[in-house]
Amino acid sequence: MALAEICKISNASYMKPAAWTSTEVENELNAFTSNIANPYTLAAPPFENPLENLNKIQANASNSGVKINFDHGTTTLGFKYQGGVILAVDSRATGGQYIGSQSMKKIVEINQFLLGTLAGGAADCVYWDRVLAKECRLHELRNKERISVAAASKIMANIAHEYKGMGLSMGMMLAGYDKRGPGLYYVDSEGSRTPGNVFSVGSGSIYAFGVLDSGYHWDLKDTEAQELGRRAIYHATFRDAYSGGIVRVYHMTPNGWIKISETDCMELHYKYKEQNKAK
Amino acid sequence: MNCLGVEQFPDYKVPGVQHVDFSPYESNGGSIVAIAGEDFVVIAADTRLSSGYSIHSRDQSKLFKMSPKTVLGSTGCWCDTLSLTGLVKVRMQMYEHTHMKTMSTDAVAQMLSIVMYNRRFFPYYVSNILAGLDKDGKGAVYSYDPIGHCERATYRAGGTAGALLQPVLDNQIGYKNQNLPADQLPPLTKERAVAVASDTFISAAERDIYTGDSVLINIITKDGVEERKLQLRKD
Amino acid sequence: MMNNSFAQPMWSNGPSPGQFYNFMGGNAPTQLPRELTTAGPFGTKHSTAAITTGSSVVGIKFDGGVLVAADTLVSYGSLARYQDIQRVFKINNNILLGGSGDFADIQSIKRNIDQKMIEDQCYNDGVIMKPGELASWLTRVLYNRRSRMNPLYIDVVVGGVDETGKPFLGNVDMRGRAYNDYVVATGFGRHLALPLVRERKPKDRDFTFEEATNLIRESMKVLYYRDTRSIPQYTVGICTAADCSIKGPFKVEENWTFAETVKGY
Repeated sequence: MALAEICKISNASYMKPAAWTSTEVENELNAFTSNIANPYTLAAPPFENPLENLNKIQANASNSGVKINFDHGTTTLGFKYQGGVILAVDSRATGGQYIGSQSMKKIVEINQFLLGTLAGGAADCVYWDRVLAKECRLHELRNKERISVAAASKIMANIAHEYKGMGLSMGMMLAGYDKRGPGLYYVDSEGSRTPGNVFSVGSGSIYAFGVLDSGYHWDLKDTEAQELGRRAIYHATFRDAYSGGIVRVYHMTPNGWIKISETDCMELHYKYKEQNKAK
Repeated sequence: MNCLGVEQFPDYKVPGVQHVDFSPYESNGGSIVAIAGEDFVVIAADTRLSSGYSIHSRDQSKLFKMSPKTVLGSTGCWCDTLSLTGLVKVRMQMYEHTHMKTMSTDAVAQMLSIVMYNRRFFPYYVSNILAGLDKDGKGAVYSYDPIGHCERATYRAGGTAGALLQPVLDNQIGYKNQNLPADQLPPLTKERAVAVASDTFISAAERDIYTGDSVLINIITKDGVEERKLQLRKD
Repeated sequence: MMNNSFAQPMWSNGPSPGQFYNFMGGNAPTQLPRELTTAGPFGTKHSTAAITTGSSVVGIKFDGGVLVAADTLVSYGSLARYQDIQRVFKINNNILLGGSGDFADIQSIKRNIDQKMIEDQCYNDGVIMKPGELASWLTRVLYNRRSRMNPLYIDVVVGGVDETGKPFLGNVDMRGRAYNDYVVATGFGRHLALPLVRERKPKDRDFTFEEATNLIRESMKVLYYRDTRSIPQYTVGICTAADCSIKGPFKVEENWTFAETVKGY
């Protein structure tokens, strides 16, 4: 024993009991629920470069029927005009070829003066929007004033940049109203952040853009603007297989956001058909 | 410990030994259906546990009672299911000890989402459906994707036969075939919810090799959780 | 540093070409566990296969206890390398463990379990581990190894009785997948022994001890006939409230006269 002491051989890793002890149980618990206390700490994967290697694992496991499909969005759009910001989205969530949901909420109400739209990985967007909501609230409590859209979107861009290359998939618009007036930013998982007047994100965005660009100008009336957003999304749901369900329209005004409408795109289809006939 | 690494040895070449890339995931099958009513919620899951073409157990419950008002159904990679539900149970107990009250269904739903997202880069391969009564005593169903995207619904099917069962529910519970306005949908009774849930499983057992043996049905009302069991095809 | 007494190789913490030197004191770079640093198929490399392996284990629950059986062969690839090794272990007076898969990994986990049993005894608090607890512990160990992409290549059967004498029988595999049932088998036994036992299960009651022993005998026979990695010698662990011990080794009653009737090769 003495020799072992002198050699410190009992310090060697293979001399210690490798049994799963209560400390390790505690560590596991803390490691795998770490983001309850601190949302920025996620469990590290047991391999480097998760974007590439997770796909490899899936490809390897596909013969056993394992296929991990994340819920994906969609078509979303947002534009600024004289009356504020309009956001319009569809509500279809797809996991691979399967329509996981026809009623997904793709506009996240971060607070009364901030809305986020959601395209790409649903879980990514919702989770980080929730973190953003917390940060915005803390900002309000610390500074006794609401966070600007610019600052909020920058928090989001910083988060996205932190996880860049890890495989997050987000394409979101942040719309709000602050001291500078209406604000609209595009933030994505590559870490880019752009202010702008007109955006559309998602697989159906090309169709939405077609309608949006042909009808858009700054001086639209409120009802016209809302209808433009609705119609643009409707056309995207018609042509894009990954978009569909309900068309939701939100309006960001100087007094906060208002939910304008939630209409099934089937209903819109027949309504527009009637209108065309009448012309 | 650098002196005794595996790399120092030449790769073992033994006849008859198969070298395979280790896959951490395995699909163990199983399906879940949950249907919410006005003051109740029904959640059902089959009891077959299999991998590939072999059936490990014909009597494995996939429903986890989280609280008197909340039941979690979980299928997919069974080891992930065990770990995840264990983790959530511990967190719920911690909540109970700190706040002196049981977690509400809504809170469990949100927490489950966050705990699942923790493994964003090495996901739990599970299909989760959470059923329970919400704060107002109404039936609630939450469904999840593997990395914790959560959505509340009134009825939902998941697991290996999820894509097979959801359309049946759309018809029988959602009345999507009838084009009714939302306020004219016939009210759902507990008996009908149980009957539809049982029927969907009988159908699933016909067409999905990973679903069968028997189905456990939990009916959650304000009085507690009632458990029923129905035998299915065993082939 | 983990261990100062082992002489470091020269320049052990030296920089790789193109990198900067980190002095030992202060901010020595924390060394990642080896499993996170070596290149492999998914970015990291670990042991990729079981080399010295045990084949099937069969466990059957009866009214009042469990039986766990395994042959005494540990193969080295297709070579029947070690022919007299017990693969069913008595863990304590309540628990039996049958191991299949990589035998080195089984021995390793067995050492850990034995250590736990000694600790259990040292406490002397009248609380001793039950089979369900051991199975649960195994799921945590194995799940964590698989989550680090460094699994123990084993598939074990845990059987025994709890303090009320209620029998327990379960299976834990290399990923930490676990379940309990009245019959559990690993390896080829999953295909050969499981259906055999399930077919004989009376609907309304458990097996009796007689029935269970007969089924074990028959399962081991069928396994010997059809599993190339098996030998006609096996041990059986019996655990009831009164007794927990390993019996045997027993011989399979070979009868090859049926071979004459096998056609088609």
